[in-house]
Amino acid sequence: MKFDVHLQSVALGARTRVVELERQGSGYSVKIDGVPVNADAMQIAPNTISVLLDGQAFEVHVTPSLDGTIKLQSGPHEFMAELRDPRAWQGRKHGASEVEGRQQILAPMPGKVIRLLVNVGDEVEAGQGLVVVEAMKMQNEIRSPKTGKVERLQVKEGQAVNAGEVLCVVV
Amino acid sequence: MFQKILIANRGEIAVRILRACREMGIRTVGVFSEVDRNALHVRLADEAYAIGPAASRESYLRIDKLIDVAKKTGCDAVHPGYGFLAENPGLPRACSDGGITFIGPPPEAMEAMGSKTAGKQLARRSDVPTVPGTDDPIENPEEAQSLARTMGYPVVLKAIAGGGGKGMRVVPNDAAFPAAWRDAASEAMNAFGDPRVFLEKYLIGPRHVEIQVFADAHGRVVSLGERECSVQRRHQKVVEEAPSPVVTPELRRKMGEAAVRLARAGGYVNAGTVEFLVDAKLNFYFLEVNTRLQVEHPVTEQVTGLDLVKLQIAIAAGHRLPFAWESITPRGHAMEVRLYAEDPDNNFFPSPGHILSRHAPTGPGIRLDEGVYEGYTVPMEYDPLLSKLIAWGNSREETIARLRRALDEYTITGIRTNVSLFRRILTEPEFLRGEIHTKWLDELLARPRPPAVAPRAGTEEAAVIAAALWHIEQDRTASDGQPAAQTPSRWKMQGRREQVDRTP
Repeated sequence: MKFDVHLQSVALGARTRVVELERQGSGYSVKIDGVPVNADAMQIAPNTISVLLDGQAFEVHVTPSLDGTIKLQSGPHEFMAELRDPRAWQGRKHGASEVEGRQQILAPMPGKVIRLLVNVGDEVEAGQGLVVVEAMKMQNEIRSPKTGKVERLQVKEGQAVNAGEVLCVVV
Repeated sequence: MFQKILIANRGEIAVRILRACREMGIRTVGVFSEVDRNALHVRLADEAYAIGPAASRESYLRIDKLIDVAKKTGCDAVHPGYGFLAENPGLPRACSDGGITFIGPPPEAMEAMGSKTAGKQLARRSDVPTVPGTDDPIENPEEAQSLARTMGYPVVLKAIAGGGGKGMRVVPNDAAFPAAWRDAASEAMNAFGDPRVFLEKYLIGPRHVEIQVFADAHGRVVSLGERECSVQRRHQKVVEEAPSPVVTPELRRKMGEAAVRLARAGGYVNAGTVEFLVDAKLNFYFLEVNTRLQVEHPVTEQVTGLDLVKLQIAIAAGHRLPFAWESITPRGHAMEVRLYAEDPDNNFFPSPGHILSRHAPTGPGIRLDEGVYEGYTVPMEYDPLLSKLIAWGNSREETIARLRRALDEYTITGIRTNVSLFRRILTEPEFLRGEIHTKWLDELLARPRPPAVAPRAGTEEAAVIAAALWHIEQDRTASDGQPAAQTPSRWKMQGRREQVDRTP
């Protein structure tokens, strides 16, 4: 299986890596950006993955977020990642299944609202940015799940929000 | 000895007390609010009863409900832990009315020593040094200035009506005194409508060093040595250690004697802590008394080999302190960090929530006093303290190395914790040299952050491989209803079959 992994971290910035995992015996053969690597990866507990990369040992803890991104922790280092399966993604991203009805947009993580990108009454497209929430020193654009109109903005710039708190409502 | 103890608390301290009771063969009764049904202390107690809604005022602070549970369950003693009702004289009074023993000091001693002003008066009476100064306003600037000269600069002028730093001036030297006086008085007038100020010696970079005392009901009072708690964020202790890197045996003896004198004067019984400020010249000044078990008591336990909770229970049951304890000297070094559910990268924003996974550090010289578990949801209603990670070793260096090693092993996902704060503190050269004071951490956090350390080569690749594998495993779990790892291995099944076949 092939994935585009969009990665963000404080130390290394943002980048995209292409990972291919092909079943081979009980494990996988791994390619990164098309280049085969000597890696042995296994899930040793739910959300905990042990990776031996040329003998170098890493343990990675995976935490899924409400917005579909995942957090990867390895020792003191953290990455925010978004995974795209190039085959499946096409259908999901550009397909027809758009959400219907009144949508509450929730903060995916505790953070601080640093920018409002829309005003009440604005017409928005599906996927258009609504609010920028800063968390983990990273700015996360919270996007509209549907095409519609901004009915309510529940937050102000500079405001701290909890995970799950309503940021705005799109109808 | 007691048969059954009610633990009037929650979180890690309730668990700590439960463990002491279990080791002593005493049965335990836990109490919980609506949001704490799944808390660890409820799981570990012999019995547990609901005492009301999430708000502490309607549950953990309700003396009537606690006494009611204690009576109905036949408890003969109540342990308050720290926080909540631990320093409220109403609880020991209600206990004694109900014929139940309170594990802590008598209510009169709490009142005589607990408040800052009462404690300070008692300290003066018992010849325990307090920060030099006048508690009363000084009317005449010339009189104040001559007092400042006797005291020695720097001094600080504080508004009688003060608060929030208004009407407060630090005076570095004699020449600056008249102007500082005018500024402080006029600012106090503007802010509080009262221009009166008083004078105190200004301590530069003081350390917070506290003495653990124990007193039995038979008149014996001992000191178990000091803890250094200078690393504080906004007056909240975050790292504590014993012994203090600056306290000499001579100073330990002097501070211990002062603390014992104070406890004696206040008619104190059970565990208490006398807090001092220590200046650069190792002069110490009384700060306040905590009339309860402290959060940071484990560091004293690790260097003395004593179990302070068991000692509290024994003293409450009327036992005597053995004579030999007067000669206690710390062995080795111990250090504690307080792990909070808060986000150090986001202004220490609280981060309650569901703990998805957790791996606890173990190994030599490591102790974890914890109130959480994997799958637990940290409620938003209470203090964010999750766990206390304690390390000890032969030296301060070994202890710090162990603590760093244990922090690297400690992983918790689903919520954010302040682990990274400790990774930073425990590598700061000033901290390693023991050059700390009560404002040190706030100053450190105000400095620009050091650039993020680049992860070792391969970390990013390992992370993306893990992400991809995790995704595949998620899909598989979703489709077969069970993770691949749990599919029984054919080897194992064959092995089991052979075992069964072998049984006659």
